[in-house]
Amino acid sequence: MTAPDTEVLLFELGARIFAAGVADVLRIGTAADLGPEELVLATSLGAAGGGERAIVVRDGSPAGEAALVVDRVLGFHAVGEGGVQPLPALAAAVLGTRAITGLLQVDDATTLLIDLPTLIRERRAAAAS
Amino acid sequence: MAEARNRAAPAGEPPASGGPEAWYFCLRLLGGRYAFEASLVTEVIRLGPLTRLPAAPAFLPGVFTHRGEVLAVLDVGPLVGRGATPIRPSTRAALVHCGEWKVAVVTDGVEGLVALPARSIEAPPAESAGMAEFLSGVGRDRQGTVAILDLPRMVEAARSRAVPAGSAGP
Repeated sequence: MTAPDTEVLLFELGARIFAAGVADVLRIGTAADLGPEELVLATSLGAAGGGERAIVVRDGSPAGEAALVVDRVLGFHAVGEGGVQPLPALAAAVLGTRAITGLLQVDDATTLLIDLPTLIRERRAAAAS
Repeated sequence: MAEARNRAAPAGEPPASGGPEAWYFCLRLLGGRYAFEASLVTEVIRLGPLTRLPAAPAFLPGVFTHRGEVLAVLDVGPLVGRGATPIRPSTRAALVHCGEWKVAVVTDGVEGLVALPARSIEAPPAESAGMAEFLSGVGRDRQGTVAILDLPRMVEAARSRAVPAGSAGP
């Protein structure tokens, strides 16, 4: 029996392409349509260079959701079984973020898989401290 | 060790003196001769393009995929307060595996296997700064001194010098 493919959302942020699990994504919107309190403009991945798209995720905040502003949303990508490689142990131990959860190949390029709710929570915690 | 022996030619002269010997894999790092126990070095590779990681400390210049496995690259220079090693297509790295840690250590060059008489290996200097804190011993062969590195100690230092997760800025 073959495991079903996992689907990821590909997005561009600061001239790099990242992937996020579609299960974390509530919807994709336009930054201009969202309130400023919902928008997360910069994280440890960097900041969008004038991007207008926003990926809305559930983040556990009182508002319930937040939106990461990105440069472009590129679309969905199916990842087969075993297609996501874990972060090497050393990298997981020393990175300044826990939001990078693995790596996958997209069009022969190694792409980082991002846990968007964790990314946003980390940003909010850093901003509050 | 057999794997490492198959992939890299021994460079050090066997010691003339008798007595038990131990094999080490010798690298050039930061202008000096350093070695890991030969059994820990599985391969020497040329570093391909690295995938850089956001919020990574300078001693982790990136990761790369090798034989289907993603490996972390460790640059010892920034770990000891020195500059980063320039990574070029000709740059070689030693894949070092110890317990849960498997890392590609960036080198200035690779000497290969050396045999050190067990009785030539002395305790490392008592200093706690620079490379000295990562040494498990210091040996000597006909080409000079070889400082023996302790990978778990290096990883522990890397962890202690990392930015705490979640505190990295944008």
